[in-house]
Amino acid sequence: MGVLRASEPRGPLLPGVLPSGWQRLRLWGKTGWCALLMLLSVSTSQAQSKEYQIKAAFLFNFAQFVLWPATAFTNTSEPFQIGVLGDNPFGKALEEIVRGETIQSRPIVIVQSSSVEKLAGCQVLFVSKSEAAHLKDVFTKLDSKPVLTVSEDPAFISHGGMINFYREGPKVRFEINSDAAARNGLKLSSELLRVGKIVHTETPDK
Amino acid sequence: MKWLNNIPMRRKLTVVILMTCSSVLLLACGILAVYQILDYRKMVARDLSVLAEVMAQNTQGAIAFDDQSQAQETLAALRSEPSVAGACIYDDHGVVFATYLDPGRHIRLPGHPRNDGVKFEADGLMVFHPIFLNNKRLGTLFIQYDLTGLHDRILLFGGIAALVLIGSCLVAWLLSALLQKPVSGPILNLADTVQLIAEREDYSIRAPCSGDNEVARLAKSFNRLVAGIEERDRTLRSSNEALQGEITERKAANDRVHSQLTRLEMLNRITRAIGERQDLRSIFQVVIRTLEDHLPLDFCCVALYRPEENVVVVTSVGVRSEAMAMELALTEKSVVPIDQNGLSQCVQGRLVYESDIRGSEFPFPKRLAGGGLAAMVAAPLLVESQVFGVLVAGRRQPDSFSSGECEFLRQLSEHVALAAHQAQIYTALQQAYDDLRQTQQAVMQQERLRALGQMASGVAHDINNAISPVALYTESLLENEPNLSPRARNYLETIQHAIEDVTHTVARMREFYRQRDTQLALVPLQLSPLVQQAADISRARWSDMPQQRGVSVEMKMELAPELPAVMGIESEIREALVNLIFNAVDAMPTGGSITLRTRMVAPPPDSNGSRGSVAIEVVDTGVGMDEDTRRRCLEPFFTTKGDRGTGLGLAMVYGTIQRLNAGIEIDSVLGKGTTMRLCFPIPHAQGGGPRPSAGRFSIPSRQRILIVDDDPLLIKSLRDALETDGHIVTPANGGQAGIDTFQSAQAAGEIFDVVITDLGMPNVDGRRVATAIKHASHSTPVIMLTGWGQRLNTEGDIPPCVDQVLSKPPKLKELREALAQCVQHQNQL
Repeated sequence: MGVLRASEPRGPLLPGVLPSGWQRLRLWGKTGWCALLMLLSVSTSQAQSKEYQIKAAFLFNFAQFVLWPATAFTNTSEPFQIGVLGDNPFGKALEEIVRGETIQSRPIVIVQSSSVEKLAGCQVLFVSKSEAAHLKDVFTKLDSKPVLTVSEDPAFISHGGMINFYREGPKVRFEINSDAAARNGLKLSSELLRVGKIVHTETPDK
Repeated sequence: MKWLNNIPMRRKLTVVILMTCSSVLLLACGILAVYQILDYRKMVARDLSVLAEVMAQNTQGAIAFDDQSQAQETLAALRSEPSVAGACIYDDHGVVFATYLDPGRHIRLPGHPRNDGVKFEADGLMVFHPIFLNNKRLGTLFIQYDLTGLHDRILLFGGIAALVLIGSCLVAWLLSALLQKPVSGPILNLADTVQLIAEREDYSIRAPCSGDNEVARLAKSFNRLVAGIEERDRTLRSSNEALQGEITERKAANDRVHSQLTRLEMLNRITRAIGERQDLRSIFQVVIRTLEDHLPLDFCCVALYRPEENVVVVTSVGVRSEAMAMELALTEKSVVPIDQNGLSQCVQGRLVYESDIRGSEFPFPKRLAGGGLAAMVAAPLLVESQVFGVLVAGRRQPDSFSSGECEFLRQLSEHVALAAHQAQIYTALQQAYDDLRQTQQAVMQQERLRALGQMASGVAHDINNAISPVALYTESLLENEPNLSPRARNYLETIQHAIEDVTHTVARMREFYRQRDTQLALVPLQLSPLVQQAADISRARWSDMPQQRGVSVEMKMELAPELPAVMGIESEIREALVNLIFNAVDAMPTGGSITLRTRMVAPPPDSNGSRGSVAIEVVDTGVGMDEDTRRRCLEPFFTTKGDRGTGLGLAMVYGTIQRLNAGIEIDSVLGKGTTMRLCFPIPHAQGGGPRPSAGRFSIPSRQRILIVDDDPLLIKSLRDALETDGHIVTPANGGQAGIDTFQSAQAAGEIFDVVITDLGMPNVDGRRVATAIKHASHSTPVIMLTGWGQRLNTEGDIPPCVDQVLSKPPKLKELREALAQCVQHQNQL
């Protein structure tokens, strides 16, 4: 993990908006505001699901702007796999977006697991917030495999992650560590680079 | 292209060449320009498509990751392309995602994407290009391209084309000015030659010709043509001169024909004018006036020829000639003796023309010459080769009558003579026609009277039948009733007189229209006492009645004491006079005087053997009659008295007078009075005398008599009268019943001694009854009793098988007489 250097100051994360539903429930349950906040959770969970719908669409779009090396697939008929490590914050949204779609003429499969090993064959891996504590372990296990790693943790890039979601006002934005992608043999489209915020890790975490 | 015809040939050639060059150049430039524009558009469209494709690629990511600022930035790169006026991106919902507008231009971007493709529109070129990502449509890119470049290009091209056109035309004009000379030069030469020939009319000029081309050939042919014309011109000129002479001659002839026509027209006019006139004087006046005005003449007159005195009498003189006529003593009605030479030839039927009479020795021409006349024409007026007049025309100028005028006067005189003759014939015809009309009116009058008479006859018959019983009973009573009171007897006698008067009246009415009947009954009589009687009878009307109204009518009697007797019937003349007196009184509603006059009228000198007549005049001083009334007053039913008059009074008088062979004359002046004059001719020998009275007869007694009649009243009265005389009477009602009764009596051996039958009965009339009875018993006498009895008697028209005819109403005396004669006759047989 290196020092994160951003070209623009990062906007503050709004409490109750960004944390996942499950996390929040647990959080408020612990503090004992349970009964009161159950009412609030109805509206916030809707905002949350909208946000994750956008993130799920972005996840699918990333796959279209990235070129994987031939070693990423064992054979020509292998499906394109999108893995979700840890808790699934998308609900059914991700499945709905990729349904019927193909990437590089391959059907898309969503795989969810809490084990990195099981997801090592994926082409895109979304690391849920629940795995924030094990990030180092995750990247160690992935090593330099051609997997596009995406998360929503501010520390993710500094740990060697490739794309990280953040919020800019009401909009969902993402930062890209193109160096990490290049290191793992992935070629990011110039379009993607133009849209995302490019960040560099000073010292690669290796 | 008409304007091209009127400009000189040299310029025409130049214009043609210039127009051809410029048209071709314009066409070429136009095609080039169109090609350039189309090509440019195609190029721009292709460039724009490429640009759109690139932009679409570059904006994929921005749309995919919903990055509007990025998209905006990408679009902003279009700044480098100055022709792009604006661009925008729509997302897949058609909502505007990012826009770019050129700051120098103000355009409006479409709010929604349209169909993909490139379109040329008024604002410029527009392209809608799809943005795909991995075969999935993300949105639409729109770019609007400004076509100012195209317009600049068109302007530039136009400028170049105009410069080229002007330059080419300049070159073409210079070249054509130089090159047209060999073409137009010879033609212009030829044209100048032609103009020269036309101006000078000199056909000896020739056109210059050199070389061997079309124009040279034209010039040569033209020269030949001019040579031919030169020759013909010479010929024409000579023949024209000949023609000129002929025309002069023709013109003179034409003038003659024209004057002839004018005279003919005048002749025609005169003929028509005199054809419309019927009297000689106005015919002559028309002729003379027309001749004076239109021929013209200085003197004109017409004189009629009197062969027995060998003179001519001037009848008409022209209005203009009147002064000269006074001078010459030739005014109307002046007599001119026929001298030896001038007029005598004319009255023999020849036209005389003296061209100069100033030195003439003969009296008539000398007389005319004395008035200043020099030329004279005398034309005879001939009818059926008899000269009846002379038309004399004169002029002051000697030799001034052309042969045409003389001929004209001759023909005119023929026409005038014919018209005059026809006028005479017309007058005669008119006279004949008037006579005929009068005759026709008289016949109609007669016819009307006859119809009236027939009606009167029928009425008389019925009246006679009706009064028969009255007459019989009255007579019977007077005769057979000795015990009658004097008063009753007096009354009965009055009745008897009245019936007699009725009988007479009816008889007169019936005989009203018959003329010959009366001849038998005429007796000689004196008129003056009759007039006095008539005045006495009508006294009430002319004396008492006007006095009641406060009007006085004076009656004057002027009766000649001794007059010859005339033939007539007293009662009828008296009645006619009474009628005339009544009329005279009616004609004087405000009073006046009536004069009754008798006098002798001497016979007219030309009537041989007549002894004159006696006239009765009834003269009043009343209102008089106008001509129409006077003419119609004798017609039956014509009246001027309205409802008061029957219109029969004067008609009766007229009938009476006609029957008596007398005449009636009416003199009347409207407002002055009327004189009615009855003229009775005096007979040659006094004859006739009163009719011999019937001889004595013995009254037969106890005869068996059969009475046949269809009137029961008459049968009863007749039966009563005969039975009073002691006869045995058997009545039979109707003709058939009478025959049956007679035959059954004959069969029973009780034959009737006498049969009395009526004439007019329905079905079987008196004649058939008589025939049947004579057939059954020839010796039985038949007495016919009839309302027409008098007529039958006077006409001698006694039907066969009838022995005696008695008229109704029967008189006992006559009846007895007839019976006696029958019986007497029977006894003699």
